[in-house]
Amino acid sequence: MQELSKHFGSNVAVDRVSFDIDRSEVFGFLGPNGAGKTTTIKMLTTLLPPSSGRAVVLGHDLRTEGRKIRQQIGVVQQQDSFDQGLSVETSMDIYGMLWDVPKAERRRKIEDLVHRLGMEEFRKKPTIDLSSGQRRRLQVAREFIHDMDLLFLDEPTVGLDPMVRRTLLDFFKEKVHEGLTIFFTTHILEEAEYLCDRLAVINQGRIVDVDTPENLKRRFGSAKAVEFKLLQGTSKELASSLSSFVGVTRLVEDGGAGVYRATTARPESVIPEIYRQAERLGLTVSSIYISETTLEDAFINLVTEDDKTDPTGAR
Amino acid sequence: MNSYLRLVYRNLRANLDRASLFFELIFPLFFIFVQGFGINGIVPPFDIGNGTFVSYSLFLAAGAVTLTVINGGTNAGTQLWFDRKNGMFEQILMGPFTRAQYILSIILATLIIGVAGSLLVFVFAYPVVGARFVFTLGGGLLIAAALFLGTVFFGAFAIALSVALKSSETFQVVSTFAFFVFLFTSTVFFPASSAPAAIRTVSMLNPLTYTTDIFRAGLFGSATALTSIELAVLAVEAAGMFIVAVLAFRRIRV
Repeated sequence: MQELSKHFGSNVAVDRVSFDIDRSEVFGFLGPNGAGKTTTIKMLTTLLPPSSGRAVVLGHDLRTEGRKIRQQIGVVQQQDSFDQGLSVETSMDIYGMLWDVPKAERRRKIEDLVHRLGMEEFRKKPTIDLSSGQRRRLQVAREFIHDMDLLFLDEPTVGLDPMVRRTLLDFFKEKVHEGLTIFFTTHILEEAEYLCDRLAVINQGRIVDVDTPENLKRRFGSAKAVEFKLLQGTSKELASSLSSFVGVTRLVEDGGAGVYRATTARPESVIPEIYRQAERLGLTVSSIYISETTLEDAFINLVTEDDKTDPTGAR
Repeated sequence: MNSYLRLVYRNLRANLDRASLFFELIFPLFFIFVQGFGINGIVPPFDIGNGTFVSYSLFLAAGAVTLTVINGGTNAGTQLWFDRKNGMFEQILMGPFTRAQYILSIILATLIIGVAGSLLVFVFAYPVVGARFVFTLGGGLLIAAALFLGTVFFGAFAIALSVALKSSETFQVVSTFAFFVFLFTSTVFFPASSAPAAIRTVSMLNPLTYTTDIFRAGLFGSATALTSIELAVLAVEAAGMFIVAVLAFRRIRV
């Protein structure tokens, strides 16, 4: 992709985005809500024409060879998509028929997918009666009835319980091992870390960085997380003063457990500040320790820094 | 299998509501067997062209068969609405199909529903219409042309309406109202010549008038020189509405 952009009137949804994806790679696409992830997917799947820029998908030009691209890709959309008048099995069968998969092959693949993705109990159910998690599984399963070289997954695990989510992620890994390339967007950063070979972080329509999860953590994880608890439980005053302390990038409070987590590049100055503020407010710090940076910390740092650099979106 | 066939098959399997189809068949039969016979006794037979006199029940029965065409047309809009509401519209367009194939497949599925529905109603209504029906090749071609062009017009109309309106509920209300306007300003229930001037004028613009007149001409062998003009007008209206539907369809935001 070279300098791909999408404008809706004066609103720039995707701004000169460039990156390459290797074959058999899982390429993660991370960004806050409205950052331009889904719009990028819609352009790469030929649903939306780009306003400017160029992209080649699986060797085909995005602007002139849309149909050839669509014949080689699969897409699991972020939104629900299902045929409401059919049962799960029939819906999978008709989806395979749409892709011109021979009947015998469809039957075999449906059996395999229903078994692999734990869909036995609702295989005969009408799609209209499925829970959102079951519909999600159906959306993923039916995409594997047809052959493809590149799969776009737009937040495919939303609404799934942890067991099913892990089953799906492992299934994706297996398919990548067999040669599939995956373009993956998610809000669940543990998933991105588990699955993706490389990650692109997008913010306000622009690519902020592209690297492996490990490198991102190392480069932007100069920040550490300082976790502490107060003997008195929680304190809004303390949280407020620490949030405005220069060295703290982010402060989150786990209300249930009474644990505060301050992300910082300089724990050596933040820790004394925590004690200083606690003493000022007559509070006692009952425990404190420095934890390793997570991908989430690196992601937040990246996006926060990008917002601070230019909150208006102009460069 | 051909892309169109696959899409049409999927449209027919996934988007057709069997209960709605059943009532779409019952509706014209109700007109034929209740209203037709009810009014038959107070309306004397009249000339429908070419010196062909028919009773009111026969007149209405032919009109009621073409009513199925308008019902079939509504299905086109409903199919598109279901797909948009359920996310299948975008899913299909991200598959190995073009937008043109998708919209044509809806029209083709609508044609199948409209023509099959009309034939089914015709079969049920045969005890009434069969009394005057003599099959000829010319008549058969006129019937086929009326059903084909009528379904294309109303299918395309429903697609354009479905694209223009923001919710499926509004679509249902507006399409029902619009189709009643088409119905009561056409020649389904009464000949245009007996209507007030204003309705007669609207009737002359109404494609359902031409669909019904051509169908009757084919059924009762009452074709005149006017029938070929009506056929030409209907063809132009159907082509025009099809273009409007395609243009509207291209504007759908995804």
